[in-house]
Amino acid sequence: MSAIHLQNLVKKFGDFTALKTMDLEIADGEFMALLGPSGCGKSTTMNMIAGMEEPTGGKILFGERDMAGVPMGRRGVGFVFQNYAIFTHMTVRQNLAYGPKMRGAAKAEIDRRVGAIAEMLQLSPLLDRKADRLSVNILQRVAIGRSAIMEPAIFLLDEPLSNVDAAFRAVMRTELKQLQRQFRQTMVYVTHDQLEAMTMADRIAVMDHGVLQQVGTPLEVYNNPANVFVARFIGAPGMNLLKGRPAESDRGLVIDLGPLGVTPPLPEMLAPAVRAVRGEVLYGFRPEQVALAERGLSMPVTFVERIGARTIVHLGEGESAVKAVFENDIGLSIGQTAIVAPPASSVRVFDATTGLAMKAG
Amino acid sequence: MSAVTATISEDKMGTARARPAMRDEGARLGFRLTLPAQLLVLFISAFPLLMQLYISVTDWSPLSGVGWWSAWEMWNSFANYTDLAADTRFWSALQRTAVVMLVCVPAEFLLGLALATLFADDFPGKRIFYSILLMPMMVVPAVAGYMFFMLFQSGGPVNDILSTITGTRVTIAWLSDPTLALIAVMVADIWQWTPLMFLILLAGLVGVPEDQIKAATLLGANPWQRFVTIVLPKMKTIIIIALAIRVIENFKIFDTLYIMTGGGPGVATETISVYIYKVTTQDLIWGYVAAIALAILIVLSIVAVYAMKRMAKTREMPA
Repeated sequence: MSAIHLQNLVKKFGDFTALKTMDLEIADGEFMALLGPSGCGKSTTMNMIAGMEEPTGGKILFGERDMAGVPMGRRGVGFVFQNYAIFTHMTVRQNLAYGPKMRGAAKAEIDRRVGAIAEMLQLSPLLDRKADRLSVNILQRVAIGRSAIMEPAIFLLDEPLSNVDAAFRAVMRTELKQLQRQFRQTMVYVTHDQLEAMTMADRIAVMDHGVLQQVGTPLEVYNNPANVFVARFIGAPGMNLLKGRPAESDRGLVIDLGPLGVTPPLPEMLAPAVRAVRGEVLYGFRPEQVALAERGLSMPVTFVERIGARTIVHLGEGESAVKAVFENDIGLSIGQTAIVAPPASSVRVFDATTGLAMKAG
Repeated sequence: MSAVTATISEDKMGTARARPAMRDEGARLGFRLTLPAQLLVLFISAFPLLMQLYISVTDWSPLSGVGWWSAWEMWNSFANYTDLAADTRFWSALQRTAVVMLVCVPAEFLLGLALATLFADDFPGKRIFYSILLMPMMVVPAVAGYMFFMLFQSGGPVNDILSTITGTRVTIAWLSDPTLALIAVMVADIWQWTPLMFLILLAGLVGVPEDQIKAATLLGANPWQRFVTIVLPKMKTIIIIALAIRVIENFKIFDTLYIMTGGGPGVATETISVYIYKVTTQDLIWGYVAAIALAILIVLSIVAVYAMKRMAKTREMPA
């Protein structure tokens, strides 16, 4: 087992900077998800950890060991490719045995290890099947088994569920999480699907445009996004953000949202930081935390999405559009006016110029 | 886990049930749709074959004074085939052809594979070298024949180069020495046809999935192990195709060789095609030629069928 330290990691492809100075500590045995939209640098980071690409600058350490110049075959990393990269001309057994065989393990030793790993992954009945006719979740297990048999300290998974249809994804998420519990290895999981990251990861590293935006547990990232990008990216739908200016009132500090009126007073803890901002701020709150109220923001209903257990109500238009998610069906229809108010504790405020979250004092 | 087993059994049952009826109907429709083409192919290939078979059991020649359809009047009760079995010139030509093939095809294959491996990666000037490499293939074989005829003259460039290297005056009479002439002919064939091998093998090499190679690397395989366990098995089909094409083509080696040596000195470079050509144009015994050609067709068909079977084997999968 091994911790991973990324220090000032930079990767450039010609003029294009894929990764700008990234620092990340991944603890031993941790399941870390690298989450971000395509082109955010998450796969580049992963490829550098695996040794498929050389960093332009910075260091990668596994525990105490500097990985600079260590070829990918010697890093002791297991890698599960997006399409699993199963050797289709071999049987499941030959796939599993590949690593030990290439390193010259004895026949009996190989048989023993293949048997053990096949047992663990419930692949035993399939060992002599040709690998090109297997269903995708079996392929996933073969891919994991093929790497796991080498007992790597670090497991890297590159969007392993992106080729799977939606119905299977839930099954495979559970399976993957169980596997990680069995192996107890350090796992780095690259994905653009926040649901995968939220459900499986111990911590999530959110990335965008080659910059690490925030690192935290799924709930931290969801509840306290570090900046506007994370606030919008995490959650479905993302956080509502309304532009306004801080203003004093007799009930305390409020945000003047212009035509929408003023917000309820901000929590005392946020007030000092918000007062310090010169210029505009963004008033943020989660759609799930919106409740109908007597007093609050009065907005017209523009659209109602009913998806069974939840109802998403679109309010307002343009800059001041807001979404609200209600647990059950709600008696609102297009054209009506709703008065909504987020509970004070769930309000987050961001500096509109820097995009950074205001910290509670 | 139950979901996994469920999909497998469902899949099996689904295909098993759907198969017989669909196959039947598809086959019938396919037969009807391809019937005109089948008839055409049958006519094109079966007609000459039958004609050849017919003539091969007669003494017919263009000078016989009767049309080929009346050749039955000259029926010679399989004398052509018994003659063929005893024809030492035929057997030595066949043997020589086999030797040329066994040297040229492996040499072309190994050179082509080495070049393809080299060209699978990027290096400066790759495009230019690529074009240069493909040129021999585009040279008209007759022209290539003249080219090598000149090169291997005793006062020609090959000897000049050897003189420069050894420092002494080399005057080897390449094309008049039985062994050297055969070597010169093989060099010309390898020069001309390695590019084709290279081109086919490069296509196969580029088609090997890159992530499987990366996966093998991550599992600790060294470059040689990767080549043997991943690259070669993935290229199996294309290697068989390339070898089959070259074996069949090389067996028929004629134009370059005929211009360089005319089959000589004596019969030292007389391959089967050269022999047939001579019998056809000089001896004019066409019934006999038909018998030789049929014998060769049978040999080549065996090669082709074997190659096809191997190919089918690599593609068939256990259920």
